Amino acid sequence: MRGAIRFAGVRKVYRWRGRRTRHETLKGALFHRRLARRAAAPEEHVALDDIDLEVGPGEAVAIVGPNGSGKSTFLKLAGGILRPTSGSVEVEGRVTALIELGAGFHPEITGRENVLINGMLLGLGRREIEERMPEIVDFAQIGSFIDQPVKIYSSGMYVRLGFAVAVAVDPDVLLIDEVLSVGDEAFTRRCLDRLARMRQQGVTMVLVSHDLDLVTSFADRALYLERGRVVAEGPADAVVARYRSDVAGGSDDRQPDLGRARMEEEGKRWGTGDVEIVSVESISGSATQRLIPSGSPCRLRIRYRVKQPVEDFVFGIAWHRIDGVLVGGHNTDLDGLVPRKLAADGEVSCVYDSLQLAPGDYLLDVAVHARDGLAYDYWRDAVRVRVTSAVEWPGVWAPPHRWECQGPEWESE
Amino acid sequence: MTVQRLLWRHRALIAVLVRRELDARYRASFLGFFWSLLNPLLLLAVYTVVFTYIFHPRFPGGDPYPLFLFSGLLPWLFFSGAVLDASITLVDNGPLLAKVMCPPEIFPAVTVLAHLVHHLLALPVLLAAMAVAALAGAHPFPWTMWLVPLALVPWILTTGGTVLAVSALSVHYRDMRDLVGHLLNLFFFASPIIYSLDGLQVPSLLRRVLALNPLASLVTVYRDVVFTGEISSFETWLTALAVGVISWWLGARVFAHYRETLVEAV
Repeated sequence: MRGAIRFAGVRKVYRWRGRRTRHETLKGALFHRRLARRAAAPEEHVALDDIDLEVGPGEAVAIVGPNGSGKSTFLKLAGGILRPTSGSVEVEGRVTALIELGAGFHPEITGRENVLINGMLLGLGRREIEERMPEIVDFAQIGSFIDQPVKIYSSGMYVRLGFAVAVAVDPDVLLIDEVLSVGDEAFTRRCLDRLARMRQQGVTMVLVSHDLDLVTSFADRALYLERGRVVAEGPADAVVARYRSDVAGGSDDRQPDLGRARMEEEGKRWGTGDVEIVSVESISGSATQRLIPSGSPCRLRIRYRVKQPVEDFVFGIAWHRIDGVLVGGHNTDLDGLVPRKLAADGEVSCVYDSLQLAPGDYLLDVAVHARDGLAYDYWRDAVRVRVTSAVEWPGVWAPPHRWECQGPEWESE
Repeated sequence: MTVQRLLWRHRALIAVLVRRELDARYRASFLGFFWSLLNPLLLLAVYTVVFTYIFHPRFPGGDPYPLFLFSGLLPWLFFSGAVLDASITLVDNGPLLAKVMCPPEIFPAVTVLAHLVHHLLALPVLLAAMAVAALAGAHPFPWTMWLVPLALVPWILTTGGTVLAVSALSVHYRDMRDLVGHLLNLFFFASPIIYSLDGLQVPSLLRRVLALNPLASLVTVYRDVVFTGEISSFETWLTALAVGVISWWLGARVFAHYRETLVEAV
C-alpha cells in the first residue's frame, strides 16, 4: 500500500457574493458586474493560507486547532472534494474520507443498496462490494436491518454502517474527521481498534480531532492550525502541548498532563547520565505508533547515547496500567543477556510476538542501569501506548482463547 | 476530461444511481413500477374524455386529437420533468458531493436517465393506443414507430444539455427553480404540442416566432414517427439534431464553468 499527501503553498479562499441574501440571486449576477466596482469587494474568508505539509506513506498526522481554524477544509482538500485557490495538493493512492458518516445514504432504499452505492462512489466495483458485504454487515452489527430502508435506522446504525463501508474499501489514505466522537463507547472502541489495525498495515492517515489524548496516541506528527495558518508543526506531543498551553491562555492552573509531564521530565527521570536514552518508540506493523491492536505484534525500540562507556548494564522495561497497576516487566538481565561492553550509541528493541493486553492505556518505564540497580538513565512513563480491541476485555490480560462445549446450546449467528 | 467520457467511465455507478432513483420513487407504493405505465394511461384516458366529449380542437392531421396531443406530450413530459428535477438534483445530492469525492456530472445524468426510463415505460401505452385507434379505424397505424429511438436522440441531447446547465446554475442561483417553471410553461405553449404549426390561424409574425422555437423540430420529428406515420423532412431532422448537439455542448460548457465551485455552494 502506498498513500501520500503533499500540500505545497496551499491557499483556500471562500467567497460570498451576496451579502444580505444568503443565496446568490440571478439579479445579482445580471447587475453585479457593473455595481461591483463601486460596491465593496465580495466577502472573502481565507480558510487556509500558505500550508505546506507532506504526509509520507504509512504516516499518521493529526490536525489540531480551535473551531474555524481550517481543519475540515484541509481534509476536504486532501480528499479532492475541494480544490485549492492556489498552490497544489497531490494525493497518491485511493482516498477515503470519514466525514459525516453515512451522509450520502438515501433514506428510502435499503442499507444493502446504500452500501453498494457508497462503495461505488468510493471507487469499488460492484463485485468487490458484494464480496465485502458480509464483512461490512458484520462490522456494522446491524444484522437483518441491512435489508431495511435506511430511514428506519437508528442514528447509531447509520453511523456504524457508514464507517463499515468507508473502511471496507481498503483505502491507501484515510481522512478522519471527528468520527470517533459520534458513536457510543462500544462503537468508538471498535473503530479505534480497526483504525489501529489499518495503521499497522501502513494506511496513511490524517486525523482531525478535539480529543487531544487521541491525537497523541494516534498520530506521529501534528499540525496546529489557527485561522488557516500553521502555528506549529512537529511531533504530536510537542504540538499538542503547545496547543494545550495556548488554549489555557498560558495560565498555570491547567490540568497536569502526561504528554507535558513527560517533556518536563522533572521527577520522572533520573540517573548518572553515563548512558542516556534518546528515544523510545512503540512500533506496530511498519509504523511507529502508540495505538496497538490487542494481540498483534509490536516492538519497543530504545535508542541510546553513550557518554561514558560502561561494562555493567541492563536494559529494562516496565508496563503499568494507567491507574498504576504493574502489569509486567522484563530486562535484559532477567532474560539472560550478559553485558560485555556498551561503548557506542545504538538501539535495543524488545519484541513482542503478540501483545496480549486488555484494551486501555499503558505507561512504560524504560531504563538502562547497572546490575546492582544504579541507574544510568531511568525514565518513568517514557511512553504511553493505547491498546485497542474490538471487545472491551476486563482486567489487563487478553489472551487468545476459545470455548469448547459439550451440552450448552448457543444461538447460532 | 469531457463530460461524455467522464459519464462513460462512471456508467456502472450511474446505472446503480438510476436504479436507486426509480426504487426510491416507488418504494412503499402499492403498485410500484406499474405507476410508470399507469400514469400515462390515466392521462390519456382523461384527454380522451375531455377532448372527445367536451372540446373538439381541429388541426389538419390532428385527428384523433387525444392521440395527437398524447404523442406530442410524451417527449415533452420527459424533457420538462427532467429539467424541473435538474434544479434540485445537485442540492439534494449535496451531502454526497461534499463528503465523497465524486464527479458532479453524474447527478444530472442520473436525472435524465431516470426520466428517460419513465418515458420508455410510457411507450407501450402509446403503442397500444395507436393499435386500438387503428383497429377502430380512427387512424392508420404508424408503422414508422420503430424509429422512436432515433427520434429520441435529439430529445436526449437537448434534455441532457439543458439539465446540465440548469443543475449547475441552480446551485448558484436559487431562483432558477421558479424561473425554470415559468420558462417551461412558456415553451410548452410555444411548442407545437397542443396544436400543429400547419393548421395555425395566427398572424404570420407570431408564426415565424413560433417556428424559431428550437423545440418545435424535436416535437415534429417525434410526432411524425409515432403518430402521423411518416418520416419528417431531412431539414427537420437535421434541425432537431443540431438543436440537440448545440444544447449539449452549451450545457456542458455552462456546467464546466461552475463545476469547481459547486461543492462550496451546495
